[in-house]
Amino acid sequence: MMNRLKVLRAERNWSQADLAERLDVSRQSVNAIETGKYDPSLPLAFKIADVFGLTIEEIFVRGEEGA
Amino acid sequence: MAGRTANPARRRYNVRFVAAMTAYAAITFGAVWTLRQAPPEADVLRFALAVAPAIPLLGVIWAVGAYLVEETDEFRRATFAQALLWGLGATLAFTTVWGFLEELGGAPRFPLYLVFCVFAVAMGAAHLVIRWRYR
Repeated sequence: MMNRLKVLRAERNWSQADLAERLDVSRQSVNAIETGKYDPSLPLAFKIADVFGLTIEEIFVRGEEGA
Repeated sequence: MAGRTANPARRRYNVRFVAAMTAYAAITFGAVWTLRQAPPEADVLRFALAVAPAIPLLGVIWAVGAYLVEETDEFRRATFAQALLWGLGATLAFTTVWGFLEELGGAPRFPLYLVFCVFAVAMGAAHLVIRWRYR
């Protein structure tokens, strides 16, 4: 699954650790999701969407590789 | 196996694991010493002493299960579960192959109490590899 996490983070000037803290997960989790190596569950995807104030579809896109 | 940012579930697991292994070392030493130096007459006492070292290892199995239940970080839970499956698979593979070698090929007897050790090493190695792959 492709995603726009890296771009969205950069827009807000957040590090992976900053985002991890907001999501209450480890930095490794954010990294694995961001690089497309790990697809989050629906509850975590909704949490990510909430943190950015966007919908899931605005962050995650169908596809194979990480964005 | 501890990450750099250990969360409460991971910390509890580490504490339980270290406590169990410390108990294992102490109990094994005590049980072996007693059985060699002053073995009790009653069968039931000897059996109790013989099985005592296994109890903390059962505690480790419980701690692994408890960690999977208590971990709130789904990614860490997933990598831990993957490592657990690799560890169990490797242990089954090793003991099955060795069992046939022993039974049909005349290989030396592999002590069953070391199966847990095989599992722990296999799972630990798998966890390192899996975390490295997701790095």
